Amino acid sequence: MSETHETLPEVPGVEVGDLLDRLDRGEDLVILDVRNDEEAGAWKLEGRRPVTAVHVPYFDFIEDTEGALAKVPRGRELVALCAQGGSSAMVVDMLREAGVPARNVKGGMVAYGEYLQPVRVAGGTEGERFELWQFNRRGKGCLSYVVLSGAEAVVVDPSRALDRYLEFVRARGARIVQVLDTHIQADHVSGGPALAARAGAPYFVDAGQGFDLKLTVTPLPDGEVIRLDGGAAVQLRLLATPGHTPGSTSYLVGDRHLLTGDTLFVSSVGRPDLGGHVVKWGRALFRTLHERIAALPDDTVVLPAHYSGAAEIGPDGVVAGRLGDLRKSVPEMQIATEDEFVAAVRAAVGKPPDSYAEIIKVNLGAPPPPEEKVTEWELGRNQCAVAAQKAKAAVPGAR
Amino acid sequence: METRKLDVRGAKCPIPVVKAKKAIDTMAPGDVLEVTATDPGSMPDFVGWAKTSKLAVLKEQRRDTDETGREVFIHVIERKA
Repeated sequence: MSETHETLPEVPGVEVGDLLDRLDRGEDLVILDVRNDEEAGAWKLEGRRPVTAVHVPYFDFIEDTEGALAKVPRGRELVALCAQGGSSAMVVDMLREAGVPARNVKGGMVAYGEYLQPVRVAGGTEGERFELWQFNRRGKGCLSYVVLSGAEAVVVDPSRALDRYLEFVRARGARIVQVLDTHIQADHVSGGPALAARAGAPYFVDAGQGFDLKLTVTPLPDGEVIRLDGGAAVQLRLLATPGHTPGSTSYLVGDRHLLTGDTLFVSSVGRPDLGGHVVKWGRALFRTLHERIAALPDDTVVLPAHYSGAAEIGPDGVVAGRLGDLRKSVPEMQIATEDEFVAAVRAAVGKPPDSYAEIIKVNLGAPPPPEEKVTEWELGRNQCAVAAQKAKAAVPGAR
Repeated sequence: METRKLDVRGAKCPIPVVKAKKAIDTMAPGDVLEVTATDPGSMPDFVGWAKTSKLAVLKEQRRDTDETGREVFIHVIERKA
């Protein structure tokens, strides 16, 4: 152990993606969470199976090393986790010094919040000439999509991890020909305009009435069809689905897969209150759900832009719902009248996403703040649904 | 009674707490340490550390803006007897 820890020790580490794969497989691992009480309580690392975590703050290791070490379970594989990977590196160093093997989760919760896991939704088998991939931002519960056909790709709702999409598409011998956002996002800064610029592709988002869009977009009208690779294998059809925001747009990929954005989730619907017009937008959402979405066949696969917790990830790793099932299972879909719907939605929405007003401004085209500020804005799970399973507690000093 | 200042602007956790503890350990009872940090996570971290520490009492925490316009988090800590 170094004298002062003024420079962080080099310790064995584990990448977030590898850690999640192992937790999802049910491997026996213990997470030693060394964050302060507030942060450890507000946002936890989730796997698709229950995660065993022990919480001992890093400053306990500094103040009372022996006492803290005594709280660490022995004989099981240990990984230490903190906000950014620094404090956990120090703790791993102390543990190894004490003869306890442990590894550090590289980049901590910030890396967890940024990590994207691509999961195949459709295609790739014989006879199917397009592929649809869901990029799951596990830590935040954000979903983006890549549709590939031949040498062309469309990316929908990308996060700021631009290289992940660019490399993924390039590795398949394709290029990005269109970047889309389903709506002006309120929980994270969109990677859409930057990805479009990097790829040299047009970008489209419909801000709708009520938002002052500063970005330059290449407009696409309702009903427009985007043909990939000549359109022989797959088309994306644009469906205006106002409600969560006035410009919310869904995309029908082929004839079965519907990218719903924040209009319809697998266990709730998008909250219509983030523009200060909950009644007006709530009415629009009701009509979208009961007219436009209702008209689609039961076998339509709903692929949303967010989800509320690992329980919503299906056995195949995809967050999706069959429309026929969601009509029966999503509580807000059961409400028959517009007035009751608006009243129920108003009553159910929790506190707005952290920093949502600032995030919306950037997504409309305002210059973004330094990267670390964006990271701070985006910490914690999203709260885009009317009834999110877990809301991030108010953390005054959240990183 | 002395007031010492500790500038840990730009440092990420655990450095601010590590340096503060090192300073407090060498100070006399009643002395005050004023830590200036830029990491917003230092707010809950100093609260947690002071709870654990036998020598540090957290007297005050405030947000401010430094001469470069950067948001800073100031922690005032007293060395216990």
